[in-house]
Amino acid sequence: MSAPVVRVDNLTKVYRSRRESVVAVDHVSFRVEPGEIVGLLGPNGAGKTTTIKCLCTLVRPTSGTVALGQVDVVAHPARALENVTAVLEGNRNIYWRLSPRENLEFFSGLQGISTRSVRPYINELIDRFALGDKRDVAARKLSRGMQQKLAVACALVKRTEVLLLDEPTLGLDVETSHELRSALVALARDDGRTIVLSSHDMNVVQDICERVIIIHEGRVVTDDRVANLLQVFRARAYRIRLEGAISDAQARALHERFDIVHTRAEDGGTDIEVELFARDQMYDLMDVLRAGGSVIESIDREEPNLEEVFLSIVRKRA
Amino acid sequence: MTWAMVKRYGIELKRYAFNTLSMLVSFYLIFLILFLGIRSFAGDSPQFGEALPGMVIGFTVFYLVVYAYAELSWVLIAEAQQGTLEQLSMSPLGFGRVIVARIFAALAFRIVVMFALLVIMMATTSRWLHVDLLTIVPVLILTVASVQGVGFVMGGLALVFKQIQAALGILQFVFVALLAIPLEQFGFAKYLPLTWGTHLIGRAMVDGERLWQMPPRDLGALGVVGIGYFLVGFACFKGLERVARSRGLLGHY
Repeated sequence: MSAPVVRVDNLTKVYRSRRESVVAVDHVSFRVEPGEIVGLLGPNGAGKTTTIKCLCTLVRPTSGTVALGQVDVVAHPARALENVTAVLEGNRNIYWRLSPRENLEFFSGLQGISTRSVRPYINELIDRFALGDKRDVAARKLSRGMQQKLAVACALVKRTEVLLLDEPTLGLDVETSHELRSALVALARDDGRTIVLSSHDMNVVQDICERVIIIHEGRVVTDDRVANLLQVFRARAYRIRLEGAISDAQARALHERFDIVHTRAEDGGTDIEVELFARDQMYDLMDVLRAGGSVIESIDREEPNLEEVFLSIVRKRA
Repeated sequence: MTWAMVKRYGIELKRYAFNTLSMLVSFYLIFLILFLGIRSFAGDSPQFGEALPGMVIGFTVFYLVVYAYAELSWVLIAEAQQGTLEQLSMSPLGFGRVIVARIFAALAFRIVVMFALLVIMMATTSRWLHVDLLTIVPVLILTVASVQGVGFVMGGLALVFKQIQAALGILQFVFVALLAIPLEQFGFAKYLPLTWGTHLIGRAMVDGERLWQMPPRDLGALGVVGIGYFLVGFACFKGLERVARSRGLLGHY
């Protein structure tokens, strides 16, 4: 296995003011391998943005280590920034009075790259993000989607190995969101860029991320591949269809004996959605149903999506 | 990076041409009102004639000073508002260098405009002063450097506290006082920002004294004050930038 390109160990950030101290990030640790797309998920205030800002030197950690490759971000921020860039406020990360071409030239200059040497790449980025027709139009006249794509292009023009994106598809229409997602996947696949993104949009994360780190109240609660998470939840989530209604005693028994259970009367029958955390629980469930004389019509495995997985994990934590 | 900054600054000036021009016109109009007002009271008295060069020089230097101490704060506030400050502070060349490049771009432009304003003011007053660029530009740069030091402190405070416009307004009056302070009476004022440099510019423009004719001690004092304030101000800026990073305030507005 190759060396991780992002290494976060026991990262802690405490915001202190005269009145109070707020622990935004609490001993967070994770690794990101080269070319991976990793999603940071969490409710508002979970610590995703602070984690991203610590990675790109914008926020100084209270304790812990953040390293990009072999470079410690806190000890050598300038060297670290040769390897990382971020889009933090979507379409607000660009100069609205400048055209896409001028923005790209400026941001490459900010990285210390000469305009002449980067010009072919600027043209490539303009084409890749379908900004060709608008290359000399002031950014303020572009649609929000185009501005957001330009912001990502401005981050890419710096040619850093790691790209951090905070809510990259926020406020985009479905079509532009899909376009941007495809571009991001292509970046990791074709250019070998490593992408860490935070998003509230579970579809985006499920669609493009290979791995997801769920942060809740400043702590990592899950760090796994998206496929694994879905598989685990698929394996333990069942939908059982019964003929007729269930008795009050049965409903009580179900709620008492199983952690998560939803029962719903529908079309003359009853649907039970249940998560079983141990193999024996299926037999227990059958016992409860048999005791009440229920007739089982069907048993199906639930097909969870990432949103359900996320909610389940976070609620369990809460 | 400096070139990228100069180029962007130039493009924005062009795109905000009306704003750029109106600032220049309003500055000239203030001078004109001041000049005509004083002349209507003083007439063509010899005292007015003697005071006129000082007024032109003071006003010219003041034009640079206003921008030197406040522009960095304005820029940082504007960048934070439009969401680009975080991008500037992520340059591997260092946020300090980025800011110095931005100031350099602005200063180069302001000096050109200042000379244009000077010519217009001299034409208005019909009082032509010695304009030896080889003398005036270096003295001016060191004079402005001391003010820029104060500008760095204000810029650093803008990063942390954001709303510092009131303090900037008050500082404007402090600089007017520093421009007008009589060095014969208050010798210590030589070591305050602006004062000594303005005095030397006056000697160059009124008496025609050249740079190489100025005593090394006088130039040394100018250098120490200019570079000293600049470096101290820059160090304060870096310290306040560190505070902003620690509190997660970079980019917030």
